[in-house]
Amino acid sequence: MAKAHVEQGSLSAAEQVYQDRSQRARQLRDKGKKIIGYFCAYPPVEMLTAANLVPYRIMGNPREAVVRADEYLESIVCSFVRSCFDVALQGGYDFLDGFVASHACDNIGKIYNIWQYNFKPPFSYFVNVPNTTSPASMKFFRAELGTFQRHLEKFTGSQITEQRLVEAIKLHNENRALMREIYALRKPDPPLLSAVEMNKILVASQSIPVEESKQLLRDVIQDLKKRHDGPAQKSARLMVVGSEIDDSPLFRLIEDSEANVVIDDACIGTRVYWHDVETEGDPLDNLVTRYLDKVMCPRTARERTGSREEDLDTKFGHILGLAREFGVNGVILYILRYCDNFGFDVPDMRDYLEKAGLPVLFIEDEYLISGARLKTRIEAFIEMIS
Amino acid sequence: MAEAPEEKTTATKATETVKKIRGLVKGMSMLAHEARDRGQPVVYCFMGNMCDEIVRAMDMVPVWTENWAGLCAAVHRAEPFLLKAQAEGFSDKLCTYATCGLGFDIMRHELGEVPPDAPDGGMERPDAMLAIGLSMCDARHKWYQAVQRYMDVPVHTMGILVPPYDADLKEVESYYVDYMVEELKGMVEFLERVTGRKMDWDELSRLIDLSDETNRVWYEAYQLRKAVPAPMPSQDAMSAMVPGWYRLGTQEALDFYRQLYDEIKYRVDNKMGAIPNEKYRLLWGMGIPPWFALKLFNFFENWGAVFPIEVIYRPFDPVEIPAGVTHPLERLAWRTYKRGTYRYDKARNHTGDPDVELLIELIDDYKIDAVVYHRALSCRTVHTGRLHELAVLKQYRNLPSLILESDMVDVSSFSEEDIKNKIETFIEIVDAHKRGKKKNPRLSAS
Repeated sequence: MAKAHVEQGSLSAAEQVYQDRSQRARQLRDKGKKIIGYFCAYPPVEMLTAANLVPYRIMGNPREAVVRADEYLESIVCSFVRSCFDVALQGGYDFLDGFVASHACDNIGKIYNIWQYNFKPPFSYFVNVPNTTSPASMKFFRAELGTFQRHLEKFTGSQITEQRLVEAIKLHNENRALMREIYALRKPDPPLLSAVEMNKILVASQSIPVEESKQLLRDVIQDLKKRHDGPAQKSARLMVVGSEIDDSPLFRLIEDSEANVVIDDACIGTRVYWHDVETEGDPLDNLVTRYLDKVMCPRTARERTGSREEDLDTKFGHILGLAREFGVNGVILYILRYCDNFGFDVPDMRDYLEKAGLPVLFIEDEYLISGARLKTRIEAFIEMIS
Repeated sequence: MAEAPEEKTTATKATETVKKIRGLVKGMSMLAHEARDRGQPVVYCFMGNMCDEIVRAMDMVPVWTENWAGLCAAVHRAEPFLLKAQAEGFSDKLCTYATCGLGFDIMRHELGEVPPDAPDGGMERPDAMLAIGLSMCDARHKWYQAVQRYMDVPVHTMGILVPPYDADLKEVESYYVDYMVEELKGMVEFLERVTGRKMDWDELSRLIDLSDETNRVWYEAYQLRKAVPAPMPSQDAMSAMVPGWYRLGTQEALDFYRQLYDEIKYRVDNKMGAIPNEKYRLLWGMGIPPWFALKLFNFFENWGAVFPIEVIYRPFDPVEIPAGVTHPLERLAWRTYKRGTYRYDKARNHTGDPDVELLIELIDDYKIDAVVYHRALSCRTVHTGRLHELAVLKQYRNLPSLILESDMVDVSSFSEEDIKNKIETFIEIVDAHKRGKKKNPRLSAS
């Protein structure tokens, strides 16, 4: 295969982490490191790194039906959360020393007690994240991060100094910058890497310590820039918008059709990597600004200051901006069933993008991808926009 | 077990006082419809979002959008609104209170007038909307954002956060309360800005006194429900909650609960039970009932089972706010915080779960034989975590439990036959359990 040259290098390393993503965490744990699992894009991972802990993103398994979790979680719970819990029940997270959830949404909020009760991790913390960006919310979140910091210090027995926190912020900023560089390699037509490959890199990056992620990303960039065997040019360049579309067969499904996915607005993708934390000034204040204000997620409400059109720009302008920057000609809006935060935005989001000239395919489905049915819809959409 | 007697078709109420509720709900709609003539702004509100006394003190009229959706369900007129919202792209998996309300607002937007047959003349068009943050429910901040698609009405989103169950309250209390105070100030400022009205702080204090007294009387009335036989069943409580959740800060609400108290007391003193031959006492767990099919309570009663108490829509437990807190917004914030964390310390030294602590208290105090939940399929907020709650409860009180499934608004989710069958089987289990417990008292866990 023509791709062999690249796959023997850094992409292969990413693939290796992806295929057995807990392997490195387990190795590190054997060497005495403590591994902390976290849900979604809201727990500030910089604070875990500063506490000399390894953040490990909790994900589900979108290829396997949830069976065991049925006994613990109602069928109306978000299928992503149910899948994560199912993986945990199978021992998939038995190496974790701790667990951090945040008030990102009802589903994740509710899972905290249940996880804590059933798995009894040595450390657990619920980061209570307000859902507005009012000055009071920012002040509250600052105080909440202070409490989080004290709990981390108590758990590790070591103080998180301002210097350590700033260093951790810089490390994560560098990691984010490298990931954005990889994203940028998808701007050409054809892109230098597929969404399937990108997804593996994202999963790998959130499964290993940030220093190792940085090295991996640097290597990937170096190899990709030399690449001559990337994806073929196809008739459609798509963006995927949604929530927890991690490790998803969705990308393969799309790219097996006549389209390349070149950008996302999703919880393990741009929502994690697009915004840095300021390094000047109080680090906790800077984390507050980054997580509560800069991260664009429908779970955060922003006070309307202008016209309805301006309000829609505030809510969805970043999606349109990414779509234009990456030369997209269609958007797949993939919303997990039972997700109120995204679900209520669907008509507005769809109209906003269509009004801007971007065709939208709205899919509401489970975390477990239902291949054949989806494939038909996706192919029809690609045919329509090509 | 005895044969089930003939079935009734509507939820049978035991108390006379609650029969006033339908008129009271109509009165709420009327107040909103007439507000414009009186020059009063109308505000879309959610129950329990701390706005009751604030809105009334500013001489505005609240429209309780969840309540109106529940009304649509109860009179079986929700379906056209649900279908309308779905046609617009709102998933049928979203909260059906919200999609019912949205469907109405979409229709009004399209028709340019209130849709025909909207119950009680529909919801009055608001001048402002008060959404609320994540600690209560995702839908309650997303719903009004979505409404703006059809009505360009200002919306304010307020965050109310309660600490997680494992929080050290001493460590976090000050910033949680401070946050609520600031957020309440933000709500008042928003209402002043968009309506031009000014807050009457003395009036707000008076209304908080009134609502505190209302809750106290309501709470005391429900303490009387511990009696055997049960003087007032849960189907009455599903109506009796209306003044406490939607007319808080009014004399009407206080008078209602005083009357209810007197009636329950009379029934207790005269040993008047809700049903003639009470055999099983069931707890209605945390679950919104199917408002379109409250007759399901009759299905239980036909087997001699009564619900003396319920977890949902109870009055708040009595809390004390710190001495010296006098500013009305601080009073509201402390009250909410104290209510929200009421059983945290107790849980810490026992089950670890304040929700389970409440269940245990109710089971013991109201002499409960079994627990019943209704899972409304479109609501994550109230209905997630109940399996877990039951699993924890099992370790402390070994009682039979039943989970019924349908929805709070969407009648298509309801299978009467299926529910009746489940109830029949469940009652057999409860009966066997109760008989077994009598033979072996150790079966009731510590």
